[in-house]
Amino acid sequence: MTNLVVRNTIRFLFLVLFQVLILNDINLGGYTNPYLYLYFILLLPFATPRWMMLFLAFFLGISIDLFTNTYGLNAAATVLMAFCRPYVIGAISREPEEELGIQPSLRIQGFKWFFFYSFILILVHHIALFYLDIFRFTEFFQTLLRVITSTVFTLVLVFLSELIFHSRTKGKR
Amino acid sequence: MRNLFLFFRKHYFIFLFLFLEVISLILFFRYNNYQNAVMFDWTSGISGGMNSIYRNISEYFSLKRINFILSEENAAIHARMPEAIYLVDKTIFSRHDSLFQAEYRFINARVISNTTNRRNNYLMINKGTLNGVEPHMGVISGNKIVGQVVNVSRHFSWVLSLLHKESKISARFLKNNQMVSVEWPGGDYRTGVVREIPKHFRVAPGDTVITSGNSEVFPNGILIGVIEQWNVQEDENFNTATLTFLTDFNGLGYVEVVVDIFREEKEQLKASFKEL
Repeated sequence: MTNLVVRNTIRFLFLVLFQVLILNDINLGGYTNPYLYLYFILLLPFATPRWMMLFLAFFLGISIDLFTNTYGLNAAATVLMAFCRPYVIGAISREPEEELGIQPSLRIQGFKWFFFYSFILILVHHIALFYLDIFRFTEFFQTLLRVITSTVFTLVLVFLSELIFHSRTKGKR
Repeated sequence: MRNLFLFFRKHYFIFLFLFLEVISLILFFRYNNYQNAVMFDWTSGISGGMNSIYRNISEYFSLKRINFILSEENAAIHARMPEAIYLVDKTIFSRHDSLFQAEYRFINARVISNTTNRRNNYLMINKGTLNGVEPHMGVISGNKIVGQVVNVSRHFSWVLSLLHKESKISARFLKNNQMVSVEWPGGDYRTGVVREIPKHFRVAPGDTVITSGNSEVFPNGILIGVIEQWNVQEDENFNTATLTFLTDFNGLGYVEVVVDIFREEKEQLKASFKEL
């Protein structure tokens, strides 16, 4: 239990720093930028109380916002994503939530489950983030393109991180 | 009453979600595009300090390019010094001339945080109220446009980049002073759009667009960009054109904040005019 808390705290700090110092400077073709900090929400243990998940999402989003002068933008999108998480898990899993293991993982739940799980949640977050950011519908299709390409980019980074950090931690998880 | 309580308890997840979402949205709509010194003072200590440390390290990798830009600017400034001017008639030229009075002062600053990949981009610079920076001041790099100060704390300032949906620059063509406006439509950070080009006016690729000097933010003649393509709009009153920005927004190292010395005088004059 303590181990899980420590691991998640370190992950929180690391992902915020990585996002604001490195990923925020990445920009492919003027359209695409990754938001790997969502990986924290994706990997929260299944047993995390729902209220705590919402608060963690809020603080995660606000932490990112402090560095980009967009108070509330990332927070709103991340809270929405955390709200959707239990429903997405419920919709795509065959077994009840208690039997899924400790935390979502590519290795335990398999490729298909993890792909749909992270794809849907990242898409929800990116739609909220980009449309809230422009807040006008005249650039609808241009923004849609940004949402799609950025979702793919974030998804690739999530899978890479999953392969690098969680492929051979048998027994520990 | 008990039922109401039970109802809230049963659906607490949704209510907590709505509560946090409303807080986020209030923050978003209240503090964005607004100057809020309180919020910024509180947060700039953390993010400003961290960004400074990071820039101190990452700056080494771009020193070569920054040096090159600085030496180019130095050369341009030297060319305008009295020493560089060949005097044809010694009786006319005078260095201490009361006819000329400085209209602008410049505060140089270092960019410590910068984005170009969002629809609404900001820069953070390492000068604040202690150095005389105030909201609404223009920011340039060399002789090229960058943005406008929106938020100031003691040691740092947020600059609303030209790459922002609220940016609308009053501009003109260098060749014939035709007034237009420049905006950034999003997407590629190197290209912008020129609007409100009168129907009768012909635009050619390569035409230079500069600031008009009509606003109090930028001096006259700051470079904005070069026309790439002229788009004739059949069913509208004005034509548009795309332009390539001359500013390298992704490589900004040092910038200058423009201080208009006559700003107060101009504002007073404006205010007195309204009262008539």
